[in-house]
Formats: sequence, structure tokens, C-alpha cells
Amino acid sequence: MTLAVSLPPTVPTTAPAPLPAQPGAGRIPGSKAMWVGIFCEITEFALLFAVFFVARAHHPEAFQAGPERLSLLAGTGYTLMLLTSGWCVARALHAMRRGDRRATVRWMLAGFVFGLGYPAIKVFELQRNFALGLDGSAGVFIVSYYYLTFTHLVHVFWGLLGMMWVIVRTGLGAYTPEEHSGLEAFACYWHVTDMIWLMIFPLFYLLG
Amino acid sequence: MSPVDKIGDRRIDLAWLMLVLLSVGGAGIGSADANAVLVAVGVSLVMAIKLRLVCTYFLELHEAHPRIRRAVLAFCHGMPILVTLTTAFGDTLSRLTGALIG
Repeated sequence: MTLAVSLPPTVPTTAPAPLPAQPGAGRIPGSKAMWVGIFCEITEFALLFAVFFVARAHHPEAFQAGPERLSLLAGTGYTLMLLTSGWCVARALHAMRRGDRRATVRWMLAGFVFGLGYPAIKVFELQRNFALGLDGSAGVFIVSYYYLTFTHLVHVFWGLLGMMWVIVRTGLGAYTPEEHSGLEAFACYWHVTDMIWLMIFPLFYLLG
Repeated sequence: MSPVDKIGDRRIDLAWLMLVLLSVGGAGIGSADANAVLVAVGVSLVMAIKLRLVCTYFLELHEAHPRIRRAVLAFCHGMPILVTLTTAFGDTLSRLTGALIG
């Protein structure tokens, strides 16, 4: 005796192809989840910037004299490290799009090294600051400075951890020119973290 | 590497170079012995140009969904404007928020 099982011919065996994007509609770079995280980050810093502006309005003398107490060399150093790291990540994404996995790994490793420059400079700057007595009791400007820059440092640490993960995944061949949303999602996070530093830097090191 | 890929890479390289030059050159604005509002306008302009370069060439925001593009650009344009406004009208902001601070 044989048992015949027939499937309805209309059941699809593969996922339907995505509809083509309408012109001008744009796309979600990376992933939706990453953009939820990025907008949380933007909201967090928007609130901290609001606190900064209010504190500055109430203590204009302290903020006017503030930048002279900090190291402009360190501030410029952070900026150059993050910008160069972001440039490497952008080049890595382009290399992946054209299918050059080796170049992607090389650019990502370079981005990681420059990214590490940020906490490395932070160590030297903190040693300098503490030697000059610039700790949590050094006034409203320094407290605002530590609050914003330490929060940003935490985000840089998340980014560096994410970068390590993406480098390993790229090395293992997890991304292809057609599907590399993980790499792109990380790149978006890293560039936004970079942008936030471009806002913090002039507030504390230039403007006062 | 195709010519199109080379042009794409060249654009990113030029954007990075511009960002570095603006960062190093812009660092001098803060030490300029000028009116605080003028310094704030200069600093805000440099900030806005740098943010725009990152948005366009690194983040590729022009290809993103309009909602994402608008939200990120609002943040990037709003910040330099707020820097200038809060410098020019610091007294007003202080009065308005005085009740909150106590």
C-alpha cells in the first residue's frame, strides 16, 4: 500500500522577493533596530546638551573661562582619531560593496586602531586634569564637561566592542556584497557617535 | 576596482581631508579675541559644515528613508543654531529657566 501526499500547488517554497523601492523613498541603512538605538542615543545627548545650555546661561563666567582649563591638543586629538576611524569604516563599507573582503578587514582594523586612540588620549588627558585639580569639585564647567564626555566615552566603548564583532564576522565571511546589513548598521552607529563628538568638542574646547 | 568605485572612494577621502582641515583650522577660532557672539557664529558654521560632510559622505544620509534623513538633519542643523542663539540670548534663557534652577 502506498501513501500519496500531495501539497497544494499554490504554497510558495521561498520568501517573496522584496518590492522595489519607490524613487525618492530611501531605505533604512543597516537595520531598524540599530536606528532605534541611534535615536535613543540622539535623545540622550539632546537632553544633556539642553542641560549644558541652561548651565552655561546661568554661569557665563565659569563657561567663558572653561576652555583655557582644558587641553585643546587633547580635544583636537580626539576629533582627529574619531574622524579618521570613521573614514576607515566608510572605506571598509565601500570595499565590502565591491566584494573585497580582505580590504574590508584591513580598513576595519585600521578604524579600530584609530578608535582606540580616543580612550588612549583620554587616559593622558585625565592624568593631566587630575594633576591640575580638575576633578568633580572643580566647578560647574568641569562637572558638565565630565558628564557629557564620559557619556560619550561609554558610547565609544560600545562602538569599539561592536567593531571587534564586525571585524570577526567579516573575517569569517559572514557578509557579502549583497547582504552586509550588520556591517552597515555598525557603520551608522559609529558615524553618529562621531557626529556627537563634533558637537561636544567646540562646546567645551572652543566656545566656553 | 571600477572607475565608479574609485570615484566613490576619492569622495570619501576628500571629505575626510576637509574634516581634518576644518578641525585643525577651526580650533583657532575659539582662541580668537573677538565678540563672543561672533566666535559662536564662526564655531557654529564650522560645526555645521563638518556635520553635513559626515552626514553626506560617511553616513550617506541622502540614500536613507526620509524620516531618518529629516530627524538626523534636524539634530545636526538644530545644534549649531542653538549654540548661536544661547550665546546671543544667554540672559533670556537664564531668566526663562530661573524658576527651574531655583
